[in-house]
Amino acid sequence: MKKSQKILALIGTNIPRVDIQEKMTGEALFTDDIQFGVKLLYARIKRSPHAHALIKSIDTSRAEKLPGVRAVVTGADFSGRIGLYLKDRHIIARNRVRYIGEPVAGVAAVSEAVAEKALDLIQVEYEPLPALFLPQDAIKPDAPLIHPDLGEYEVVNFIFPKPGTNISNHFKIRKGDMKNAWKNCAAIVENEYYIPHIQHVPLETHVAVAKVDLSGKITLWTSSQSPFAQRDLIAKTWGMSPADIKVISPYVGGGFGCKAGVTMEALPVLLAMKVKGCPVKLRLTREEEFYTNFVRQALLIRLKMGCDAEGNILAMENTMYWDGGASTEYGVNITRAGGYSSTGPYDIPNVKTDSYCVYTNNTIGGPYRGFGMSELHTGIEQCVDELANKIKMDKVAFRMRNVVESGDILATGMVMHPTGIKACIEKVAEAIEWGKPSEPSAPHKKRGKGIALMWKAPAMPPNPGSSATLKFNSDGTVFLSIGGQEIGQGAFTVAAQIAAAGLGVPMDWIRISKPLDTDYSSYEWQTVASRITWTMGNAILDAAKDARKQIFKIVAKAWKENKKDLEIKDGIVYSTNTDKKISLKDFVITGIPKKKDQGWIGGPIIGRGKFMPTYVTGLDKDTGQGKRAVVHYTTGAQGFIVEVDTLTGKLEIIKAVSAFDVGKAINPDLVKAQIEGGMVQGISSALFEQLVFKEGVLQNPNFVDYRIATTMDLPDKMESYYIEVPQDDGPFGARGIGEHPMVPTIAAIANAINDAVGIRLEGPPFTAEKLFMAIKAQNKSVD
Amino acid sequence: MKMHTINFTINGRKESLKVSSNLTLLHMIRENLALTGTKNGCEAGECGACTVLLNGEPVNSCMVLAVECDRAEIMTVEGLTENGELARLQESFKNLNAVQCGFCTPGMLITAYELLQRNPHPTPSEIKEALVGNLCRCTGYERIIQAVEQASGE
Amino acid sequence: MNNPLPRLPEFEYIRLETIEKAAQFLKDHPGEAAPYLGGTDLFVGLRDRRKQPKYLVDLKHLEGLNSLTFDPAKGLTIGARVTLNQLIDHRDVQKNYPILCQAAKQVGGYQLRNRATLCGNICNASPCGDTIGPSMVYQGSVNIFGPDGTRSLPLEDFFLGPGKVALVDGEIVHSITLPLPPEGSQGMYLCHGRNKLSDLAIAAVSVLAYPDLTSASGFRFRIALSAVAPTVVIVEEAQVLLSENPIEPSHFEKAAHIARQSCKPIDDIRSSAEYRRELVYTLTSRALNQVWDSLQSV
Repeated sequence: MKKSQKILALIGTNIPRVDIQEKMTGEALFTDDIQFGVKLLYARIKRSPHAHALIKSIDTSRAEKLPGVRAVVTGADFSGRIGLYLKDRHIIARNRVRYIGEPVAGVAAVSEAVAEKALDLIQVEYEPLPALFLPQDAIKPDAPLIHPDLGEYEVVNFIFPKPGTNISNHFKIRKGDMKNAWKNCAAIVENEYYIPHIQHVPLETHVAVAKVDLSGKITLWTSSQSPFAQRDLIAKTWGMSPADIKVISPYVGGGFGCKAGVTMEALPVLLAMKVKGCPVKLRLTREEEFYTNFVRQALLIRLKMGCDAEGNILAMENTMYWDGGASTEYGVNITRAGGYSSTGPYDIPNVKTDSYCVYTNNTIGGPYRGFGMSELHTGIEQCVDELANKIKMDKVAFRMRNVVESGDILATGMVMHPTGIKACIEKVAEAIEWGKPSEPSAPHKKRGKGIALMWKAPAMPPNPGSSATLKFNSDGTVFLSIGGQEIGQGAFTVAAQIAAAGLGVPMDWIRISKPLDTDYSSYEWQTVASRITWTMGNAILDAAKDARKQIFKIVAKAWKENKKDLEIKDGIVYSTNTDKKISLKDFVITGIPKKKDQGWIGGPIIGRGKFMPTYVTGLDKDTGQGKRAVVHYTTGAQGFIVEVDTLTGKLEIIKAVSAFDVGKAINPDLVKAQIEGGMVQGISSALFEQLVFKEGVLQNPNFVDYRIATTMDLPDKMESYYIEVPQDDGPFGARGIGEHPMVPTIAAIANAINDAVGIRLEGPPFTAEKLFMAIKAQNKSVD
Repeated sequence: MKMHTINFTINGRKESLKVSSNLTLLHMIRENLALTGTKNGCEAGECGACTVLLNGEPVNSCMVLAVECDRAEIMTVEGLTENGELARLQESFKNLNAVQCGFCTPGMLITAYELLQRNPHPTPSEIKEALVGNLCRCTGYERIIQAVEQASGE
Repeated sequence: MNNPLPRLPEFEYIRLETIEKAAQFLKDHPGEAAPYLGGTDLFVGLRDRRKQPKYLVDLKHLEGLNSLTFDPAKGLTIGARVTLNQLIDHRDVQKNYPILCQAAKQVGGYQLRNRATLCGNICNASPCGDTIGPSMVYQGSVNIFGPDGTRSLPLEDFFLGPGKVALVDGEIVHSITLPLPPEGSQGMYLCHGRNKLSDLAIAAVSVLAYPDLTSASGFRFRIALSAVAPTVVIVEEAQVLLSENPIEPSHFEKAAHIARQSCKPIDDIRSSAEYRRELVYTLTSRALNQVWDSLQSV
């Protein structure tokens, strides 16, 4: 049997999820389910009612005296700053608050009720400062500074803050000759779009439990996409060794980016330091989740695009103002990602991009499934539609003409790798019967079709590492130790699949070592960026290779054969030369006895593997040019058929189709599950979702008024396809697919709406009200 | 606060507890009984993650006081599995990968289980209507609806 | 920013054997005791501190409050603890009060409706309460038990404003009565929320119509608008228009126009006032046309 055939048995197969049984029975453990016994203390947080103010005084004396209160902390207790890319955030506000909901004091007490009472006893005196709620206001030269000390903050070398302003990153691309490019354009479109703040809405709110022992070592149980990053960030913040911090992370009840990095997890740590030996739990209420946790940054995007008479896009000017909120410690890199991917999946010779990360006094912006790409593509893909319209070219044909292809020089100077985006477009166009009108169901209803493309690269530092360890047991089963988290996407299943395929053992021999525990699990940067299947997969394959090497060495020595003639299948080592066989279970722990009882060969097998991209280069600060901006891009397309009731504005999705190039679908059904779930989240963001702020006060911090899609809001028909153009640096050619399915959704729906009723709204959500009002205004202007 | 003694049956097991007036059924299940399969998603009756059966009817356990459960029969997700055997509904959720993060799953299963008791062969639109109070952020619902349909088939 | 409590605040749960005792307790603790039925709205109010009662007086076990009885002569009597699902599942309700069923199905999810009650929905007096409009076009009345005896009040006199009803301390709504709808009546509840189902109504209309030989048109119409004014709006002018003149298709548009004029909506997080007005027009016109079609096809 050929090697490739053997792998096919596991790779590309719908292996059942390894976590399914536990999740069916209620046994699956989430952070809030862990039992801590009677020593457990409960934390509650006093939060700022002001969007921007100086803290004149905090009096905690009455709270401290309340029976049952064990610890009270304020900003005075800790001066350090925390942040993934830019250390601009205090764990608890010091001297100044910058958004409504910012922690100003914390209490640990014997119950949540006592902690709440204590909060009421804490007196805080504020001196309100002028606050900024729009990035376009915050960038004005005379705008008050939200972070006057920006110049002193520690920052990574690929983020460029502008001290003395509210701009915490400015990413630029300068490519080609803009002046002449515009002159050669037959059509130019200029548009502005606004994509509001939204929230991740995991069904499990944030929860963290911290315990500090007498020697100062920290244990932190968290619902986390990033146990290692949390450990390392907390270590850095407190100047500790990562070895003295242990982060344990069981199953995560939904992440979508909001459980990456450190958000609220440092708060119980700070409290636990004051009550050594007692675990301190902080669980956010749903309302706190809404108004204090990281949100998807709002974006104001101004686009200018031009093409020649044949429909070749010649130039793009893309200016993005990201509403980073009160801290941009994580958000700065979203604005960088928005910058280097700012052309969308198009080959454009002349590009000028300015992506600004702007401080405001809104809730902190952070990573959200798509990492800026949904927002960016909402602008680009509508603009592309408009441009095609303007030169009267079919929108699919226009896209096929301009889309990126293998070998294209991208806006950053990187050379594009092979990609299946054209196949994705064709698939989607075919599935929605592009070009063929769809009959509305009633005379007052109008139907339209829309399509949108996308690309997205894993956005991360240049060198995030992954590792994996394979430890055999005496019956041949294997513990796979990884640091990639199971957040619902199926990471554990795919990890086990890759390990089984890589080793040559049955799938059910692989056991994931869980929960993730930074003391025992193998290092992983973070479960973000749709990178886990790709990067962790590579590390697992490397570990399998290492284990096989050890295995072959032992067997070859015992059998006196050439290592090259050995293979493993179904857990049995065999020789292609002599037909000899030995099961792994017979020697992976004990080794193989030498003949005539003359000793032993081998010993316990442990496979070690790693992966880290070593080929991503820096980009020039002023031009954004460099050899390789990112590892690779996943591409895809979505198409929608919508029907608009012109008398109410209500929108129905008749059909929704996705196609993405995943390189290799290791578990096709899980790939489809990602596509479906992501598309519905995208639909939800397109139709319903917006965090409505009034002077920084969130008006809808609950499910009553922050509506998300329910079972009733699904499209009548949904189809998901995947294309497989292999990725050269991916395991079995695989690329990520976690975030991508919600990236083109808003734009595709916007384009379908435009096709149906000729309207373009400034931005989502495309509520019935907005559609109705726009239709009404349109009718008036026609009259 | 006065404590009230309540006697009830949960997943077929008899229990007796002393509870305060303001303890919700959700917290009683999760904290006093450590049946942590039932999840706390919003404490406002909006998300359905805490759904359990109270005297055979699905309720948001965050919207019920423990003290009201004297002589009640309660069933949580843990009660769906008998002797480690998955119920038919759980099997179809498993077959169709109708689960991702798993946090909404217990509530989803309980609501769907009761639907099938009441209406053994629901149409897809009846399933959608019955599950409208159970939010899921991962799956996009489609597979969940299919799984309920599959479980209802002969 | 209101930061709701992580769990319910302290209160004393009170369960008394009789409605007399419950009423007396409520009377003796004005401002401190709250009646407790389904709790679906109360619990949210407790957590966000809008409501701070010392005592929750449970009414659910009280005799008679659980009854749902239909009598062709008297109509339907719905006990205070009858849940919305019990109402929806009841054959006589489905047959004789279909608008109420349609509206009740709009409230929350299935599991919430196993706790939520019609009485609670009505006593909350939320402008967007789904069941209030239908109960009013059915000309319902609330039956009130108080320390000084019982009384009945037509729903149109019951609502004083958002969240305000004509009850004095110690009074308990123990049931709601809906008289038998007139022979041959047809009706419809149309609402518009942000999601397709389970959302609060942005605007809603309830229409009931029935043949009546004493009117010029041969029909009488009742039209109630919800979520577009502090309390439900009965569109009398439109009702008169459709009863006192021979029916012409254009009258439905006219009636819808009158409905639009009659409402007093506000701008809020859910909708602008302007859009609510437009919805009133469209929903009323749709409901009237469809009800008219049903009347014709009978």
